[in-house]
Amino acid sequence: MPILQLQFKDKIISKYRVEKGKSIKIGRRDSNDIVIENVSVSGRHAKVESADNGGFMIVDLNSTNGTFVNDKMITTHQLRHGDVISIGKHRLIFGYVKGEARPDIEEKQEEEGWMEKTMVLDTEEHREMLAKTADELRAKITVDKVGILSYLSGAEGEFPLTKKLVKIGKDPSNDIVVGGLTMGKVAATISMMPTGYQLSYVGGMSKPKVNDSTVKESVKLEEFDTISIGSLKAKFILKG
Amino acid sequence: MVVVESAGITDVGCKRTGNEDSLLVDDRMGLYIVADGMGGHQAGEVASRVVVETMKSYMERFADGSEVEELEDEDLDLTQEANRLLASIRLANSSVYSISQSKESCRGMGSTVSAVWFTGDSFVAANVGDSPIYLIQGESIEMLSVPHTVIAEQAAMGNGDAVKIDEKFRHMLTRGMGVLDTVDADICENQCFKGNTFVICSDGLSDKLSPPEILAVVKDEKPDKACARLVDMAKERGGDDNITVIVIRVKNVRRDSGFLSTLFKKLGWS
Repeated sequence: MPILQLQFKDKIISKYRVEKGKSIKIGRRDSNDIVIENVSVSGRHAKVESADNGGFMIVDLNSTNGTFVNDKMITTHQLRHGDVISIGKHRLIFGYVKGEARPDIEEKQEEEGWMEKTMVLDTEEHREMLAKTADELRAKITVDKVGILSYLSGAEGEFPLTKKLVKIGKDPSNDIVVGGLTMGKVAATISMMPTGYQLSYVGGMSKPKVNDSTVKESVKLEEFDTISIGSLKAKFILKG
Repeated sequence: MVVVESAGITDVGCKRTGNEDSLLVDDRMGLYIVADGMGGHQAGEVASRVVVETMKSYMERFADGSEVEELEDEDLDLTQEANRLLASIRLANSSVYSISQSKESCRGMGSTVSAVWFTGDSFVAANVGDSPIYLIQGESIEMLSVPHTVIAEQAAMGNGDAVKIDEKFRHMLTRGMGVLDTVDADICENQCFKGNTFVICSDGLSDKLSPPEILAVVKDEKPDKACARLVDMAKERGGDDNITVIVIRVKNVRRDSGFLSTLFKKLGWS
């Protein structure tokens, strides 16, 4: 059976065996199985329960200050070997004993709502934890939307649109250099805006085309749009 | 070269006694800033003013072409212009931070900042906090800034109104100017086109007026009239907070065209 190790400031306080079919209550009150004496811990804070797939779940019991797993706030979370549960300033480390059978849950991880109730932010550490959670989620949102130009002709491979502003044109200072007598020094740009990618015409005789219609000013890019500028042709794809 | 017509107003509103907002409207530099300060005992006023003044003086050195130190931590994913604006924000952040650390009366103060800077034929928009920057193109209005509040980040994640968060926590900023010794701003840069209209405001306005309402006022009015009308509307609806708004309309964009297109334009072929 796996073990929960209670730590405070890197000192191991005690160990608890996690058993199938038995729920482990965590909180400040004496009635809990794991008692954590600290004002930032709720009377009934969280519990660990057996999951259908043979694994174990940690469930936050609407605690005031929240339960974190690997610095992410959770409401419920399927525990994996090495997960660090933070409750107030205490940490509980979940781990299987060597050679013990573990449920295969790696692929079934679900996105959980990360914050569901009134909360009081009382420590700086806590605020940092929350800020980090928000930052990570935001980073994930951005990453989810990363656009890529997959070249169809004029070049090979793909160009990831990770810069806020990608410049396309004849001048060697451009991010994507396209030659041609009628090509502008900077012919077009692709901007990463909060609402998506936008292609704009900048200058030169060769105006960019999106799905064969000429762009005179700017246009929002939709996935699978075909972009052509001079000899260059590429498909706009979102990768996540 | 971007030619604009602009106007900006700040108003104490109906409920507050002091104004913690600051703004900059500088057509010569093409720089427009709104900062919404926070912190008790006039500290919020200090914070927002320090933000605007620090950014202005830094950008002036750059605009005058006088010596400006090389950037240490240039983000290579951004243009040089965007890096300049970011540097001014970082400098303003450390100014506010050092004052708040050294003066007891200013402890814990902070500010938002939202700025738009026109350079060549493009714009750079940057923000920290929740003062929105809108871009109006024809009949559409979109937000160029990324609101750094817990509630907005929730909404962005698709949690929407399923989330019940304490009222106090809702407006809590996840980032602010002068809160920590470093700050990370969100940046958006793009080409500018004739007719584009930018609106920068404090939440005293955006809490009272929805983006479609702002669009309706701004698209038919000249910038100065639009600003006055927007402030009036926010006050009619309670004016709970200080209200600041800047409206900038792009009148013309002169592009650095190549030799051929200039020739063809002269010949009337393009």
